[in-house]
Amino acid sequence: MIPLVLPAESEALKPFVTRLRADTGERKQSDSILLDMDATGATYAGEEGLIAVDGATATDLNGDIVLVRPEAGRIERLLRAGSDHNTLLVTERCDQLCVMCSQPPKKTHVDRFDLLEEACLLANEGTLIGISGGEPTLYKERLLTMVERVLVARPDLSFHILSNGQHFDRDDVARLRQPLYAKVSWGIPLYAVGAALHDEIVGKAGAFMQLEESFAHLIMAGARVELRTVITQPNMGELPTLACYVTSRLNFVEVWSIMQLEHIGFAKGRWSELYVDHRRHFEPVAEALNHAALHGVRAQLFNFPRCTVPAAYRAFAVASISDWKRKYAAACTGCTEQKSCSGFFEWHPDEHAETCVEPL
Amino acid sequence: MTFVPMRARALGTQPKTLFVNDSGRFFAGSDAFVERLLQNEPSDAEFAFLRSEGHWLDDDDALGRAAHSRSVARRFTIAGPLDYLILVPTLRCNLSCSYCQVSRVNAEQQGFDWSEETLAAVLHCLDQLPAERIKIEFQGGEATLRPDLIRAVMERTSRFRERQFVICTNLQSIDDEVLAIFDCPEVFISTSLDGDSATHHRNRTHHSEKTDQFFYNLRFIVDRYGPRKVSALPTIDSSAPPAVDDIIDAYLEYGLDSIFLRPINYQGFARKRHKSSREQGAQWRAYYESFVRRIIERNWEDRDRVFEETYLSIGLRRIFRPGVERHVDLRNPNLAGHDYIVIDYDGTIYPTDEARMLARSGVVDLAIGTVQDGWDSETRTLLNQHATNQFDPDCQKCVYQPFCGRDIVDDLARYGRIGLPRHETEFCRRHMHLFDFIFELIYSDCPKIRYSIGRWLRLPTTPLAIGQIIP
Repeated sequence: MIPLVLPAESEALKPFVTRLRADTGERKQSDSILLDMDATGATYAGEEGLIAVDGATATDLNGDIVLVRPEAGRIERLLRAGSDHNTLLVTERCDQLCVMCSQPPKKTHVDRFDLLEEACLLANEGTLIGISGGEPTLYKERLLTMVERVLVARPDLSFHILSNGQHFDRDDVARLRQPLYAKVSWGIPLYAVGAALHDEIVGKAGAFMQLEESFAHLIMAGARVELRTVITQPNMGELPTLACYVTSRLNFVEVWSIMQLEHIGFAKGRWSELYVDHRRHFEPVAEALNHAALHGVRAQLFNFPRCTVPAAYRAFAVASISDWKRKYAAACTGCTEQKSCSGFFEWHPDEHAETCVEPL
Repeated sequence: MTFVPMRARALGTQPKTLFVNDSGRFFAGSDAFVERLLQNEPSDAEFAFLRSEGHWLDDDDALGRAAHSRSVARRFTIAGPLDYLILVPTLRCNLSCSYCQVSRVNAEQQGFDWSEETLAAVLHCLDQLPAERIKIEFQGGEATLRPDLIRAVMERTSRFRERQFVICTNLQSIDDEVLAIFDCPEVFISTSLDGDSATHHRNRTHHSEKTDQFFYNLRFIVDRYGPRKVSALPTIDSSAPPAVDDIIDAYLEYGLDSIFLRPINYQGFARKRHKSSREQGAQWRAYYESFVRRIIERNWEDRDRVFEETYLSIGLRRIFRPGVERHVDLRNPNLAGHDYIVIDYDGTIYPTDEARMLARSGVVDLAIGTVQDGWDSETRTLLNQHATNQFDPDCQKCVYQPFCGRDIVDDLARYGRIGLPRHETEFCRRHMHLFDFIFELIYSDCPKIRYSIGRWLRLPTTPLAIGQIIP
């Protein structure tokens, strides 16, 4: 696993954002330049004085845009230079409590939008920046203002924002219709058709109805949406019905991601009551993929190792797991499709992973 | 609560009545359902189906309303920036096919190639294009008689991020210069193949050494590049069509897995030599159906490859995948002179290749401008005022309107006017037949048919049902 948070010391009085650089080129104001390094860490100098980082080499860190938090004694690697998977966490609060939540919410919120905006403005040319939570749209005004300011200054960047879709209203339509929102896509989950099951899964009464209303606004705004459905025992059998719903009422989505469960957060403790072995019960997934394909809704499978998917559907199984939390089983050695395979989450139980795979 | 605008048509399917709403979503209903509908007493389950499938809107269903509006809007073609050029660098040709559509001239004649000035204007036009991608089709005459002009155009497009060239050629002669052009990976080759060697000889080449040369060259390029690089079209005389299997065999022999089945087009020399081609009657339609049914049989017998009739697949995609299909002969509105144009051998600009032929035949001059002086002309505006089926009184009553298109050039070619009642035109009859036939296939319970439809729509596996039903 690639560590995203590292112990660090800094002379600064308050948190700041900087780019760590190991080269000797001209220093910009936002850069911190490598002074010294050893096997366990590196020391940099910049506008805010010295930063000493432990647990990663100067090569690992070169070009990373980091948030230095002197009070916490650590840095957060916000935008890693060599990675296509960079996600900014804007809040840990959420108004849903999904049964399988991989990052259970917290009650407190620390507003870091200004620092995150600085980080975005430093991003490499053309970077796709992920935004996640918690629920980012709980702070919708701050969020949209940050996105707009960044995209005005840096039209080369784009955003993918994970949201529960509970907080869009009619007044957002004109705002989200602005041309710069062509660079923003929203990843929004829907688990089942109908309030009964969806609301139960997300732990919030009225969530389904609210979501339908939000989708109506997003359609009218011409928003780009990635629909997300995590499969669990309660909703697996409902996938074909959901597919009909998606092709009829949500066919504006750019893509529908059907996702296998992540062994972390709430799902870890509820694994036996949530996890569905799709190798044994692929029919509902197959039916949903067929129906989506028939009606031209692009679908994809997330967190489905390719060898666990029937050959006819393997093209849907994409390398969905971010580099820093991805692993492959020992049994994957020699597989010719590893490059296009999701593999497993770092925290997936090895004994399960090892029995799942069969190199292609 | 209300139905969205919906039309119905009785078909030879089971259940019998096809319902299509104005966004193109459809289902088939039984006679019993139709009866319940007329009595205004569909069951709760039926209403639930109609609601979830977008045919019925509750007053407070904001999502249903938005989704429906968007789906209706998706049915309209938006002509993007100009990114598709059909170029005719020369009208000269080294063959003389009986139904030649383009009014060719003999290979030795002077004055039927682009002049220096025309070439310069074409290249200047390329420099002005706003799009990042470009598709260029070289038509003729026989474009390969002027490889220098093809090369000049190709070289001028290096700035585009994505380029595709299609060279339409009779493959009579491939010299080193032409071969060097073919070798470019962005070049695709389109040729005519009427069926077996006897048919091709009778219709096109007329001399056995030319026939042999064609088949030798076709084999040569398929072997050299693989069949993906090559496409072929037949032209079929529906008064004496070749045996279906002979044509399919001829295509498969060269690894070609799709065929765009065209009757003789009522254009160019065909107007004189094939008068019967003005209307394609029941004979052609029966042949077309038998051809597609034979393809379905053969796909079922040999699962190692999938053969398809291109226009039927276009129709299927028009039904199921609004906004995806870019075929310019079947779209609505069918804007002329915007996203694609034809530049003739003398620099004249036409909205379509058919319009070029019409002008050549002296029927009506539909030129919209010249490459030197531009084509934002009154003629173009006039054509585009009638480029949609949206307000046609016949089309408004037709279930197939969301899938269908409009082709006023075709109307002008056949009837000299565009104001005929729609159902009296060949365009309408052809597409009524096409869509009737497709829905008959969609609602067939024959596994062989479902298998082929699944393959043509590139589905992962064969679906259990393709169209929805209210029993």
